[in-house]
Amino acid sequence: MAKFFNSLRDGVGFDLILVGAAMVFLLALAGLPLVYNVLMSFQQVDMFTLGQLIRPFAGISNYVAVVQQPEFWMVTRNTLVFVVGSMAGQFVLGFALAVFFAQKFPGAATIRGLFLVSWVMPGLVVGAIWSWILAGDFGVLNSILRGLGIIQSNIFWKSDPSFSIWAVIIANIWLGLAFNMLLLSVGLAAIPRDLYEAAELDGANAWQRFWTITLPMMRSTIGAVLSLGLIGTLQQFDLFPALTEGGPANTSNVAGYWSWQLSFQLYDFAKGATVSVMMFVLVLFASILYVRSTRHEVRG
Amino acid sequence: MTRTYTPWALLAIALALAAVYLFPLYWMYVTSLKSGSEIFANPPSFWPAAPNANIYADVWARRTMSTFLWNSVIIASGVTAITVILGTGCAYVLARYRSAWIDLGLFAILMLQVLPASVMITPLFVGFNQIGLLNYPRTAVVLAAAAKAMPFFVVLVRATFMSVPRELEEAALVDGNSRVGAFFFIVLPLARNGILVCAILTFMSAFGEYIYSKSIIQSPLLQPASVGLSGFLGPNSSDWNAIMAYSAIYVTPILLVFVILQRRIVSGLTSGALK
Repeated sequence: MAKFFNSLRDGVGFDLILVGAAMVFLLALAGLPLVYNVLMSFQQVDMFTLGQLIRPFAGISNYVAVVQQPEFWMVTRNTLVFVVGSMAGQFVLGFALAVFFAQKFPGAATIRGLFLVSWVMPGLVVGAIWSWILAGDFGVLNSILRGLGIIQSNIFWKSDPSFSIWAVIIANIWLGLAFNMLLLSVGLAAIPRDLYEAAELDGANAWQRFWTITLPMMRSTIGAVLSLGLIGTLQQFDLFPALTEGGPANTSNVAGYWSWQLSFQLYDFAKGATVSVMMFVLVLFASILYVRSTRHEVRG
Repeated sequence: MTRTYTPWALLAIALALAAVYLFPLYWMYVTSLKSGSEIFANPPSFWPAAPNANIYADVWARRTMSTFLWNSVIIASGVTAITVILGTGCAYVLARYRSAWIDLGLFAILMLQVLPASVMITPLFVGFNQIGLLNYPRTAVVLAAAAKAMPFFVVLVRATFMSVPRELEEAALVDGNSRVGAFFFIVLPLARNGILVCAILTFMSAFGEYIYSKSIIQSPLLQPASVGLSGFLGPNSSDWNAIMAYSAIYVTPILLVFVILQRRIVSGLTSGALK
């Protein structure tokens, strides 16, 4: 017994307690719910069985019902558009800014740091601000675009079915841009300077240096940033209730928000669980990409 | 000749880019100071004709912001406390050893980091309902949000511990310290700054937490500021100067902390999130 307490104070037992406490907590509040989610997606859940663990088995009928919902394909398409659009925007703009801020000029690091302000703001507030900027009749974006002569009449970003998903994408690009830029800046800073000097001596122009040095040297960083972007985009929720609430007519609804609507607005927890299991499969795919691209970091 | 001017030209471009990027924030403050009719002026004015700061006191009282913000502080404090207490030790062990088990633990943490809240909320809500935790809604939100925040915290703090020299801890052990003593008196003080920055980041993100609170907390007396904001926000909102005043009151403390700690936050993030 004394040996046991000794180990807690001065041996492996100490490590096990430290790591064990966190792991038990995470297992109870993240691991268990995940399993429970899968279980629920195969059960019949209604107001009467909500409080029970053992509910009537439903087989794959929940999955069939979800796929047969009229909005299913619309939501799937929107999720895809949202993920690809947000990631492309965040990555391309983030990369351009990272390359720009890698130049040497006074205050570069400080100004770059200011961009990160978007990352610490509550998502709902960001959604509220963009909701006002994108407003149809009195939004400032429309009047700027009109002033520049890009559009002739107002675009109703939030209520026009062909633009509603883009309203959320624009806000999401703004939100995630800074984080992308920061991570890419770290990758850029790690490329040895002499590579560029050697290429310059050999007569490579800026464009060639970018394609033959920057991009290949950044490969693992780009992999990690893209998979983090995919994960971040799939996690995005707050912007939807703030901007469009998935509407009009589900034209800006994505899987995460739809799952929440099914559970907490229609109280159809089985379908909500089913959609979130489907989404989890997608996230699993993203996280495998992420773990693969950060594997060298994990191994230390 | 051009060489000497280039840095200043770049600085000017950088400032212009930052101005464009931070325009939404400027627009929030400007709109909040405009009158009810001026916000619908066409074309919009980029500076309020008659700045009126009374709306802040008005919104504060009318929207019972003191209650909402107090709840946000309680929830964020709870999340931060649990995350720091449980996460720090976990990060330390994951940084100290290298083995297949540690790899497995890290893999599990990385996997948990990617779970979207919208996937977790349905099973968490039904599960909390079954064990009766929904009667203590703020506690339920704190537990759920802490589980969400912890993986990211562990990844960042682990990087901090990696930069603490092993030799210092080993010297303390040789001098007769126990593992517990070496951890609390040598390793923790050395990693204090990194842990503090990560704790502040955790607090800030929990301060803006929305989905769990919205789904779990029904009583307006217990809801945080994010849910309070969603109460008068929707596709058809029109009360924009009040919404922007509410948002400004809500985010200004976060922005101040960020500006003060900007350098530390950026370096903490870059060392931990990606190597």
